[in-house]
Amino acid sequence: MEERVTRRDFVRLASGATAFAAGGGLGALLEACGGSASQAPSKPVEKDVTKLYAAARKEGSVTWWTAHYEQSAAETMAAAFKKKYSGVDVNLLRQTAQVLYTRLQNDLKAGQTECDVFASTDEGHYPPLKKAGALATFTPPDVDLLPRDFQSLDPDHQYYLGALGFVLINYRTDKVPTPPKSWKDLLDPQWKGKITTGHPGFSGYVGNWVLAMIDKYGDSYLRDLEKNGPKINRSINDTVTDIVQGERQVGAGPDNFSLAKKAQGNPIDIQFPTDDAILIGGPVGIMKGSQRPNAAQLFVNFMYSKEYSEALVSTSNYPLRADVKPVAGTPSLDKIKWHRNKVDRLTTGVPEAIQKWREIMGV
Amino acid sequence: MPAVAWRQQAGWLVWIAAALVLLLLVLVPLAWLALTSVQDPTTGALTLRNYAFAFSKRIYLEPILNSFKLAAAVATIAVLVGTPLAWVVSRTDMPGRWLIRPLVLAAFVTPSFLGANAWIFLAAPNSGWLNRIWLALFHGEQGPFNVFSLQGAIFVIALYSIPYTFTLVSGTLELMSSELEDAATTLGSSNWRTTWQITLPLALPAILSGFLLSFLEALELFGPPAFLLIPARQQVMTTQLYLFFSQFPPQLEVAAAYAMPLLLVTICLLFVQRRILGRRRFVTVSGKGGVRRRTRLGPWRWPALGLALIPPALSVILPYGALLLVSLEHVWGKGPFAPGNLTGYWYRWAILDNATTREAILHSLEYSAGAATIAVIVATLVAYMVVRHMVPLTSLLGFTAMAPFVVPGIVLAIGFFAAYSHPPILLYGTAGILIAAYATRFLPIAFSNASGILRGINVDLENAARTLGAGRIHTLLSVTVPLLRTGLLSGWLLVFIPALRELSASVFLFTPRTQVVTTVIFDFSDAGNYEAVSTMGVLMMLITFLIVVVAYRFIGREVTRAR
Repeated sequence: MEERVTRRDFVRLASGATAFAAGGGLGALLEACGGSASQAPSKPVEKDVTKLYAAARKEGSVTWWTAHYEQSAAETMAAAFKKKYSGVDVNLLRQTAQVLYTRLQNDLKAGQTECDVFASTDEGHYPPLKKAGALATFTPPDVDLLPRDFQSLDPDHQYYLGALGFVLINYRTDKVPTPPKSWKDLLDPQWKGKITTGHPGFSGYVGNWVLAMIDKYGDSYLRDLEKNGPKINRSINDTVTDIVQGERQVGAGPDNFSLAKKAQGNPIDIQFPTDDAILIGGPVGIMKGSQRPNAAQLFVNFMYSKEYSEALVSTSNYPLRADVKPVAGTPSLDKIKWHRNKVDRLTTGVPEAIQKWREIMGV
Repeated sequence: MPAVAWRQQAGWLVWIAAALVLLLLVLVPLAWLALTSVQDPTTGALTLRNYAFAFSKRIYLEPILNSFKLAAAVATIAVLVGTPLAWVVSRTDMPGRWLIRPLVLAAFVTPSFLGANAWIFLAAPNSGWLNRIWLALFHGEQGPFNVFSLQGAIFVIALYSIPYTFTLVSGTLELMSSELEDAATTLGSSNWRTTWQITLPLALPAILSGFLLSFLEALELFGPPAFLLIPARQQVMTTQLYLFFSQFPPQLEVAAAYAMPLLLVTICLLFVQRRILGRRRFVTVSGKGGVRRRTRLGPWRWPALGLALIPPALSVILPYGALLLVSLEHVWGKGPFAPGNLTGYWYRWAILDNATTREAILHSLEYSAGAATIAVIVATLVAYMVVRHMVPLTSLLGFTAMAPFVVPGIVLAIGFFAAYSHPPILLYGTAGILIAAYATRFLPIAFSNASGILRGINVDLENAARTLGAGRIHTLLSVTVPLLRTGLLSGWLLVFIPALRELSASVFLFTPRTQVVTTVIFDFSDAGNYEAVSTMGVLMMLITFLIVVVAYRFIGREVTRAR
């Protein structure tokens, strides 16, 4: 377990990346936390994308709905794709996960959606989509380069891991000499009027976090948190904005956007809580009715390319590929004490958690 | 002659088409809204369960109460500030009067959601600049201002509501002759007493009308409550509607049910307002010449100017200063004095580098122009039918064209979504649904504008053409329209400008490929990209002001005054 991330951790992590790639020692940990360890797809994979690229060019564009990253990071990813595959445009919509999912549900009810690639941060969205027959079955190449136990999120190959991130404690370095060590610490009255969070009804990250807190500590966690008067925004990224602005001092925030702001010189840092960082495996799937199936497939394939993982690191996001080093400040997965909500729990648990949150917090 | 007969029939087709478009724009969405509100989400069977759900929980009832608190407070403040402001500008010899009117106009065209964003920079409890200045001067734990509160929202919305009362009251005061006041003065009444007992009561209908309009507007607003009240953990009806619609799980049917009382209230209020406004016209437009003299303020002249500058300072000068400053900072958390932080980076980004923002700006212009064109054509045809009593039941047509005025943007959007997100008419996902929604929302403006002008044109001119054998359409195009040109252009602008800044319907109806400036601003604000929010806001207002200025030059003052 890491208290604060130091430079040494980062050096250690460089070597850790190799072990990571091999998947050594990680499996047991992941299994304990619910990573389904099914075998890699058996279908032979065509790595040559020339034909796919040509077909994608004919389609001209791909529409990517994502909650994985904040706007400018998502733009960086889209730009990386367009650089590699010129002639295929990316229509990007970045919104919070629940807003995207609601929009998708409304679209599907209306019988059509523009969305080709759906990238939520709430894995619980995918089983209902599968059940409704809304997702295409596909096998991206290079998926075997993901951390081993994330190689097959869905045994039916209808969605894959598209992003890795954490909900952890964010704090303002110049105002908070000793940040809260755990989620429980946030309930201490010393943080009254100083906490900021997103809203589980909007954000997939926040939904994951709220569900984890309810499962760990019961509803009383929310009631006690409410007593500390948190400022409630929509996105998990609003936590970072509030802290950077100095509007609030601590909060449940993300790793990626927070580290990106830190890299820009803002007084913000992350703290891995002793009662588990919440690991978010943001899935990605292709819509079955897509008008641009080839461009969609090409885009998802690209997510497992080295360029994509490098672009991820350049925006302080956790890389997908095990052979790309994480950003400075984030230790490798095996050095972090984390918790991941099981997908079955998310599907029913998040809507319940949203309802509880609304009743306790008033929004 | 068959050719003439055919042409006459084609003429009738145009009239029928106009009525049909009116039906599709106004009645179909509202009918779907009503239907959806009594439908079971899964089976589609008729049920009252949506109403039971929406109106039985405390967390859904509280927003209704908050909405009324907010609207009442906003309207009260707007009237208490707007009335004296109108009086000093219209009826006194206060120096710098010329300055106030354009500033109030600037507040008028500024969407309040943009003002709300600016006030976050100014008065967020810890990071707001005003609070920081306060702390630097007086020390202490926390500054006195908190924009994230019901009071904060009331304050911001009231700032942008003042122009309603101001415009209505100053309009009345400027038309009112001084004769009655002179009579009172002759009878020995003091200046102040005359103002209080004669001038004010004469302006009362305008004041009440301003109160009701502000009340209505505050009730319908979505942007400022979304930005200011969700963080404060307070809800109003419109934000709750947004949550029903946008949060998971989506509850379109409950949203429709929840929208009904809002619709009923606005209908009632507008009805009351119409009656008052009707009487106001009777009082003020006396047709007599009369002299209008200004009250001498004496030593109070300069203090009056100081006071009169406060509302524009709070609604225009400070907020635009804040938006401009944030938009020019590369990273606004660092402050404007950090080396290299003041740049045009975000403008370059918004106009050149970023495809989404670039397209959004173009979309905004295209859709608003499309909506304005549709609204003006439909409104003119319908107004023509109504004014010239072409068919029976024309007043019903006129009523339908005015109906969207009482429909809050967010409610209209839910109706449009319910009606046009499935066959037979699938508009959702296309630019068409936004254009249609804007055209509908602002149709009443175009309609009242067109019918006002049409009433002013003597029917003899048209009759002359018709006697010479021209059909209705031909007459309309070759005689009436040229006479109306300026008026129609002003009607077009009066739809174009509010469409450009429309947020509450857009938020529900846009898709990634039909983003407009306001939805981009809304999305960026949610990820905390305040530099981008400010930049897009400034660009939107630059376009708006440019159009207002051009309109002023080419068409004259009445264009920008009418609404």
